[in-house]
Amino acid sequence: MSLAGPRPGRAALDADRLLLAGLAGGATLLLVVFVVLPLWGILGYSLVTPDGLGLGNYARYFGDPRFVGIIGNTFTVALSVTAATILLAYGFAYALQRTTMRLKPLLRLVALLPIFSPSLVQALGLQFLLGRNGLINRSFGTEIDVYGFWGIFLADLLYAFPHAFLILSTALAVGAQRLYESAETLGASSWRSFRTVTLPATRYGIASAVFVVFTIVITDFGNPVVIGGNYGVLAVEIYNQVSGQANFSMGAVIGVLLLLPAALAVLAERWIARHQHASVSAQSVPLKPRPNRRRDALWLAYCLLVAAALLAVVAIVVYASFVRLWPYNLSLSLRHYAFDVQNGIAPLWTSVEVALVTAAIAVVVVTLAAYANHQLSGGLKRPLYFLAILPAAVPGMVLGLGYILAFNDPANPVYAIYDTILIIAACNIYHYHAQGFLLATTNMKQISRTFEEASATLGASRLTTLLRVTLPMIWPTVLGVGVFFFMRAMVTLSAVIFLITPSTQLAAVSVLYLDDRGALNQAAAFAVCIMATVIGVLLLTQGALRLAGIRGVSLIR
Amino acid sequence: MTVSVLPRGLRGALAVAALALFAGSAPAQAGKITVYTSYEEDELAAFLDKAKKDLPDIEVDVLRLSTGDLRARMLAEASNPKHDVIWGWAATSMVDPRILGMLEPYEAKGLDKVPARFRDAQNRWFATTGYMGAFCVNNEIMKAENLPMPATWQDLLKPEYKGRLVMPNPASSGTGYLHVASILQMMGEDKGWAFLDALDKNMAQYIKSGSKPCNVASAGEYAIGISFALRAIKNIEEGYPITMVVPSEGAGHELEAAALMKSSQNKADARRFLDWILTRAAADEYNNWKSIVTMSDRVMPERFMKAGLPADISTVLFDVDYAWAAENRDRIVAEWQKRYEK
Repeated sequence: MSLAGPRPGRAALDADRLLLAGLAGGATLLLVVFVVLPLWGILGYSLVTPDGLGLGNYARYFGDPRFVGIIGNTFTVALSVTAATILLAYGFAYALQRTTMRLKPLLRLVALLPIFSPSLVQALGLQFLLGRNGLINRSFGTEIDVYGFWGIFLADLLYAFPHAFLILSTALAVGAQRLYESAETLGASSWRSFRTVTLPATRYGIASAVFVVFTIVITDFGNPVVIGGNYGVLAVEIYNQVSGQANFSMGAVIGVLLLLPAALAVLAERWIARHQHASVSAQSVPLKPRPNRRRDALWLAYCLLVAAALLAVVAIVVYASFVRLWPYNLSLSLRHYAFDVQNGIAPLWTSVEVALVTAAIAVVVVTLAAYANHQLSGGLKRPLYFLAILPAAVPGMVLGLGYILAFNDPANPVYAIYDTILIIAACNIYHYHAQGFLLATTNMKQISRTFEEASATLGASRLTTLLRVTLPMIWPTVLGVGVFFFMRAMVTLSAVIFLITPSTQLAAVSVLYLDDRGALNQAAAFAVCIMATVIGVLLLTQGALRLAGIRGVSLIR
Repeated sequence: MTVSVLPRGLRGALAVAALALFAGSAPAQAGKITVYTSYEEDELAAFLDKAKKDLPDIEVDVLRLSTGDLRARMLAEASNPKHDVIWGWAATSMVDPRILGMLEPYEAKGLDKVPARFRDAQNRWFATTGYMGAFCVNNEIMKAENLPMPATWQDLLKPEYKGRLVMPNPASSGTGYLHVASILQMMGEDKGWAFLDALDKNMAQYIKSGSKPCNVASAGEYAIGISFALRAIKNIEEGYPITMVVPSEGAGHELEAAALMKSSQNKADARRFLDWILTRAAADEYNNWKSIVTMSDRVMPERFMKAGLPADISTVLFDVDYAWAAENRDRIVAEWQKRYEK
């Protein structure tokens, strides 16, 4: 091979192809087993009618004005929440990445608060704040009625905000200083340089964020069920059908309807990606925002306003967990932390264990899937991409039931891990696969291929390039993927409810049932324990990084 | 009923390959039973403490889910059930033919203490406990707005309650369904639907779960929550300013039944557990927690009577026809959704 000069030899090329094929094949296989097969079982139900297989359920569905109304509601709320979230989160991310304002670390932490807690917490907090007997109405004598569209709108806005913020923040984090310098030299106004440089460079991030937020909202169950009033949405209707009436067929029909937006989003994303080019090239100088007093002050004011809203909702839940009897007796007490449930606080530790296993496996599986997809060109790229983000559109309840149907069968090899925490971990990984995958992909797309090409030109194999060039550049993102999965696994609810066993009870399920039973303060207290654990683990990890001499890496991405 | 289109061999092969990344092992089971239940966590903890004392040699593993979630899970697991015993689960769900088909008849020791109307004629299930409907009325709101205390279902139609009532949605909640079914039974279908039409005009919200209406009334979100009695009693004990009202026309109710699974791998211990459910010791514990205990020698606890339950519960219960309620469920829920869900 040394005779062949700097170009890699044939054997190395073959090994490269083999590696890529192996990664792509492995990723696809896992997606087929843990996403397609379970969905297949559930979706099959949508064709089961009393008179045999057919489209009767769909006909019945679209013939019922109530169902059609629910579709309208779902899209109204999803589109409006998406628009509002992207706008607010883009501003917030922009301020944090492109200005020199103060308080950045604190603002960042507050922006992320909603992902530390089960989705129920936003609705619970809103109810405490804006409910008919909530803090605002009680204090000001107003008669705000939040139940219904506005309740879901606000709760889901808060819930989706950190997800959009993280993606947009990653997209805005990198930029080419020289492009802005050129723009300035050419006399462009700051608005013009935003429009012609910043916006196009973050197009891909915006598209990802739109997709992620939209699917979070249409599949979210926890918020609408608490604060949606009589405003029906599809995710709750699945629950009515499956849990209320044991009608799996209608539940499956709705599941199929929720998959359609995913297909649309993939098409839209491909269209945008065609125009995408890497914004960090080998020649670029990393972006360094310059101070600008007035601009920074304005952005700080905006961020403080948004942060206050996010903080208020979480803070009131924490507060309610410490008062004797919300809202009648506000003297402080720790009594709600003595949980009167079967296993007490034990589910919290099971959740931590599940979350660590989830994160460890997800880091490998999701990053490699994103890498394989990034490197692929040609036939397999689109199907792999589609499979990778398909789970985003699958409501948790549908996925969880699909897992039982597919894997609770001694003839199926996956049965070996059924009833263990591994099946819960697998369910978490594939339930949130899309978000983790997009996180990794967004970052990879922004790194110019030039680096990798240079490495290849110098004779490095693909594996060497991956290990010595790509990973060192993206490892903070990889760590971020792990942290993301850890957090999701700590708080996720609707899918795992079908997979927990007597020995694998989870914390988020405890919160749900405590709330359901009416032990609101205990539910709040348990949610506070979850939040404290997640934040504690983050601080420990951050501390470990510091000790290792690594600074300036944000764990949450 | 599993619908599969991919050949089983292919699915197996795919799964084997996937397992390369997820290694693990299945748990073994011996000398223990798995119980699925919908008893509330707090009462369940108390019952289990007692069971562990009386049956020290059996490890009782319990999974607690809401009635609907548990039914969905059992139906999805039907090809390979994981549990030996169902305990404390709605009788109107138990009589779903898909569930009945999984049960094994067993004449538990002491079954004669349970009146015939609270058990299956073929001994596939029996109910030792139950819960009854009731209204939770917020005293603060009543006083502040000078509203009269309701005493009957008919009272709830008063125009001054407009926008102040909440009740559970019968499509998602067993409690919601027991109210609707009892109204249709006591008034007859024509009058019953007319009553529900009128009630709908006063209704602010149909809520997904059965305990929530009482909880939001307790928190002062709404004035009156149509819910169930024990929730009201618990919330009164917690200190919430509410009154429990049992409608004088008679309260709808639901039984919580127990059954043995055909598929059980440890039927000997499962049967011993079912026998234990009918013991005096168990009944004493139910007494502390349940509005309805079906075993003949019940003494109503003082604190329940203080909250408003009579010494003899049968005087306020409407005589529900459980079989009718179960058989007509789909039809009634569909009609209800057509009328009231927009």
